[in-house]
Amino acid sequence: MAIHNSDKWYDLTRATNWTPSYVSEEELFPDEMCGSMGIPMENWEVYDEPYKTTFPEYVKVQREKDAGAYSVKAALERAKIIDKSDPGWVTILKQHYGAIALGEYAAVTGEARMSRFSKAPGNRNMAMFGMLDETRHGQIQLYFPHEYCKTDRQFDWAWKAYHQNDWASLAAKHFFDDIITGRDAIGVAIMLTFGFETGFTNMQFLGLAADAADAGDYTFANLISSIQTDESRHAQQGGPALEILIANGKKEEAQKKVDMAVWRAWRLFAVLTGPAMDYYTPLEHRSSSFKEFMHEWIVGQFERSLIDLGLDKPWYWDTFMEELDSTHHGYHLGVWYWRPTIWWNPAAGVTPEERSWLEEKYPGWNSRWGQCWDVITENLLADKEELTLPETLPLVCNMNQLPICGIPGEEHWDMKVYTVEKDGRLYHFSNEVDKWVFEQDPQRYEQHMSIVDRFLNGDVQPMTLQGALEYMGMEGVAEIGKDAHAYAWLEKVKTSMKKAS
Amino acid sequence: MALFPLHSNFQADFVVQLVPVDSEDTMDWVAEQCAKHSVNRRVRKQSGVMRVRRHRTEEFFPRDMTVAESGLKPTEVIDIVYQES
Repeated sequence: MAIHNSDKWYDLTRATNWTPSYVSEEELFPDEMCGSMGIPMENWEVYDEPYKTTFPEYVKVQREKDAGAYSVKAALERAKIIDKSDPGWVTILKQHYGAIALGEYAAVTGEARMSRFSKAPGNRNMAMFGMLDETRHGQIQLYFPHEYCKTDRQFDWAWKAYHQNDWASLAAKHFFDDIITGRDAIGVAIMLTFGFETGFTNMQFLGLAADAADAGDYTFANLISSIQTDESRHAQQGGPALEILIANGKKEEAQKKVDMAVWRAWRLFAVLTGPAMDYYTPLEHRSSSFKEFMHEWIVGQFERSLIDLGLDKPWYWDTFMEELDSTHHGYHLGVWYWRPTIWWNPAAGVTPEERSWLEEKYPGWNSRWGQCWDVITENLLADKEELTLPETLPLVCNMNQLPICGIPGEEHWDMKVYTVEKDGRLYHFSNEVDKWVFEQDPQRYEQHMSIVDRFLNGDVQPMTLQGALEYMGMEGVAEIGKDAHAYAWLEKVKTSMKKAS
Repeated sequence: MALFPLHSNFQADFVVQLVPVDSEDTMDWVAEQCAKHSVNRRVRKQSGVMRVRRHRTEEFFPRDMTVAESGLKPTEVIDIVYQES
């Protein structure tokens, strides 16, 4: 029996839909799960996803991709890239896998929610493939780091991170629960696929792939580029949903969800991708600065896609653009200073040469964060490591769960904490936008306890640094973060000082 | 006498930090406790006296005022700023 080409039947099958007769539309698509904002089923029929595939095509293409990724991995195993790479590069891998692998798995839930509860049949169909994609991404990003577990316990955090109360785990989980697992189908379409996936993941998966190739880590470069080809498909689900919302008079509601997702994604990227690109990647392998990548992917591409859809730039766009010069520098300094509390070994990234690069890319860096690093460097040179390690917790934002940072330095010092008092409790936010997100739906967020709230509540026992490390899931010295180069970079500082004198 | 958590925004530092003090501590003592987590760690000691104020306000608390007398709430953010003595 001959099999028809898919172009003969695809339009019939891609949008399988029916009018329910045994249950009501509301029972089939309860608004809490669906989020269709009162727009009836027939108005969602016009949903038209830009990328289309059939199941046989999907299986064929995905199998080829996996064969490619896994064979590159197998071929390069003998190259022992982990042993030969700069420790700063290895750090990026640990940070990436831990922060991402189980987030991908959570995205299966988000795709599943769309697959069942979207009123748009094209969305339901594509989300089924999205579920398979995210399953692939979760599994492959557990499988790839697994071979390193036997030599380095920090790679175990690829699986372990999301099961812990480490502050970085809490930050990732708070964000992904807000835009994926705790959202209705249309919320997922807007916030996960459009806001996060089309907006930001290109940074981590393509921008970082460029640095990976530069660093000679072709296994990783190939892996994350391969992952991103799936992303380019399932990330397209949000756009058509937004078009329908706007066409049915729901632009304001749609805009708010986009604005929330983009801001929250920005802050998570600032703490993960920012330090990776500007500090952990060895200087000679940095193809662009974090700010330059952000301008290319976010300002250059994402902003255009917003306008093309008929949306506006988020209301805080100017603030966002200003923050490209500062936020991630504070986050890097914080992550490095509180390095025992994380599962990767941050590279300080502040040799004289690196500081010149930072000054070139971010004029004024030395008279701001540079001043803090001066004190840290002097302490290390004077053998006072203990002064470069923390004895308390930073205040973390009750939305993004990250340390509340400002501009340091004697000349330019500027810090602003935004505080809301509700029912006798103070909620602190790192900026007006995180506060605004909270105020859109306080009931959704108000019961969450940050790591600092938990500490003050007595959840961390004993109330010491060691108690905090255990609460966060650290199982001994082999797991806690340390300076990636064991302070070997001080030699370059000493050489530079000798030359100067 | 009661444990009283405050959040320290120390002059020239890059981050706000949790500093547990006591409700009977004076502002001078609070400033000292805050300094321990910033001075010689990421900022240099300055000349002058460290004064305490509610975050982003103008008026400093008197140096001998206690936390209990100040009206500060637990977990509130305070600024520690050097002033000429």
